[in-house]
Amino acid sequence: MMDVGAIDRSATSGTGPLREASPTVKLAALALILAATLINWNVLVLAGVFALLLAAMAWGQLRAPLALGLAAYPALFAVIFAFASAPDLTTAAAIVAKAVTAALAAVLVVLSTPYPQIFAHVQRIVPGIVGDALLMTYRSAFILLEKFSSLLVATRLRSGDPGRSIVRTMKMAASALGGLLLYSMDLAQRDYDIMRVRGYEGRLRIVPNKTRNRLADVVLLVAGAAMLATSVVFRLGSATLNPYSWIVPLPGVALLALAAATGRRRA
Amino acid sequence: MSHIHIPDGVLPTWLWVLGWALALLVVTTAGRIAERADIRRRVPLVAVVSALMIVAMSSEIVPLAYHVNLTVIGGVLLGPVLAIIAAFIVEIILAMLGHGGVTVLGLNTIVIAIEMVLGQALFAAFIRLFGKRKVAVAAFIATVLTLACTTSLVVGIVALSGPAGASRETGALDPGTLKFANPFAEDVFRLGLFSGGEGHGSGSPKPAPGAGKPALSVGRFAAVVYTLGPIGWALEGLLTAWVLGYVSRVRPELLWPKGRRRSRRQGDDAREASADAEAEPAGGDRS
Repeated sequence: MMDVGAIDRSATSGTGPLREASPTVKLAALALILAATLINWNVLVLAGVFALLLAAMAWGQLRAPLALGLAAYPALFAVIFAFASAPDLTTAAAIVAKAVTAALAAVLVVLSTPYPQIFAHVQRIVPGIVGDALLMTYRSAFILLEKFSSLLVATRLRSGDPGRSIVRTMKMAASALGGLLLYSMDLAQRDYDIMRVRGYEGRLRIVPNKTRNRLADVVLLVAGAAMLATSVVFRLGSATLNPYSWIVPLPGVALLALAAATGRRRA
Repeated sequence: MSHIHIPDGVLPTWLWVLGWALALLVVTTAGRIAERADIRRRVPLVAVVSALMIVAMSSEIVPLAYHVNLTVIGGVLLGPVLAIIAAFIVEIILAMLGHGGVTVLGLNTIVIAIEMVLGQALFAAFIRLFGKRKVAVAAFIATVLTLACTTSLVVGIVALSGPAGASRETGALDPGTLKFANPFAEDVFRLGLFSGGEGHGSGSPKPAPGAGKPALSVGRFAAVVYTLGPIGWALEGLLTAWVLGYVSRVRPELLWPKGRRRSRRQGDDAREASADAEAEPAGGDRS
């Protein structure tokens, strides 16, 4: 089960330049990195982007197991998709690399930015009900995940360990989900009552945070732009540049080693 | 098959941009319709049902490495308009957690919204056909049919990108001819790493246009999806049947719109009366 609590702790507490950077800049850098990932199919260029993201993760003092665990999840489905549709091994590797790189970029933003700051930007372009429900969904997900864990434990205590029996596992999951569904309806009612009492009139206002580290903003934007530029250049000039693709991951690997060494000294 | 588990950058740009545009249009329209009614009531309801779906999608059934979606249950609880909003919210949060691509978010929203709306409509139709006593049967058939339809929709989306689209996307733009050439045609691993690039350049013969272009195999993708899919449909169908069967026994007013509307209205009236009663002395104190 996804540890949403750990994700939120990482986003709201702790230090590091990634957490201090402006949420708007982080989203802009994410867009640049996604564009870099979309444009290029060269596995080594994608590996270069991935290495730079790993360096950013170490520089930002984010928990590697958590970030990599989340980023690895789409790899599972990408492998299936690649197996099902890719014509050769190189294309399959590129499909998986694209999935993991794009996911790691998104995960780094989520692990370093409190969720209202991310959703504040979405709120600007969608109707009020969508923006507000988005904010409340994230909050409710915490409550429901915790409740679901205890319901699963309760069900297991009542009916015993299902072992490898699929039917028993399914029945246990259904029983816990049924209880969770009823609980969530009660939660919606309680939220509604609280919102009435607090005078909610159809808009939750979020004030975007300002940057606490201008240097981090500049580094993020420059790095994002550099990744996109590299990706574009290697796509446009692929016929000439492909033999030299092995150079692309080197800066990322060097920066990762530097960030890891600095981090170890700090620890 | 709630998400298109296709990574960013695989589908052609026109397709995912169209998906985003369609999703924003549909979500904005649904949002405007939903705001005409009591928004304070609807925001928490959409939020908890979306959160419920996120919890389900992030929880794996261990021996099978399969996660349920609860899309049909979500559709039944929310109705068509709010289901579209919930689909968008679920996909945004999942994309931010790395579960589903950012570019395919629009297409994912369309697929999951169709799954929720169709699931709800089929469930209602089967309840009319079998009666309210056969909730589990209606839920199972509705879920399996819905998932079969949306799986076909996903295969259709991949087919839309097509071999031509896929090969164009895997190529590199040749600025001289403004045509896309395949970056793998000259083998990035062999020439770039193991041969150090010798023989590459003007001396090496250029491949024929279109030769060796990697194209996604829609047929193989469909074969894999339609082989693995029915297992997932059956599991999701069983789970939905069990959960909705359970809800129909303990809290039937959640499933039957008439009863739900009536009980809500009664509940609202009672709550409003008690809130007014509580507010009066507080107002009196302030004045």
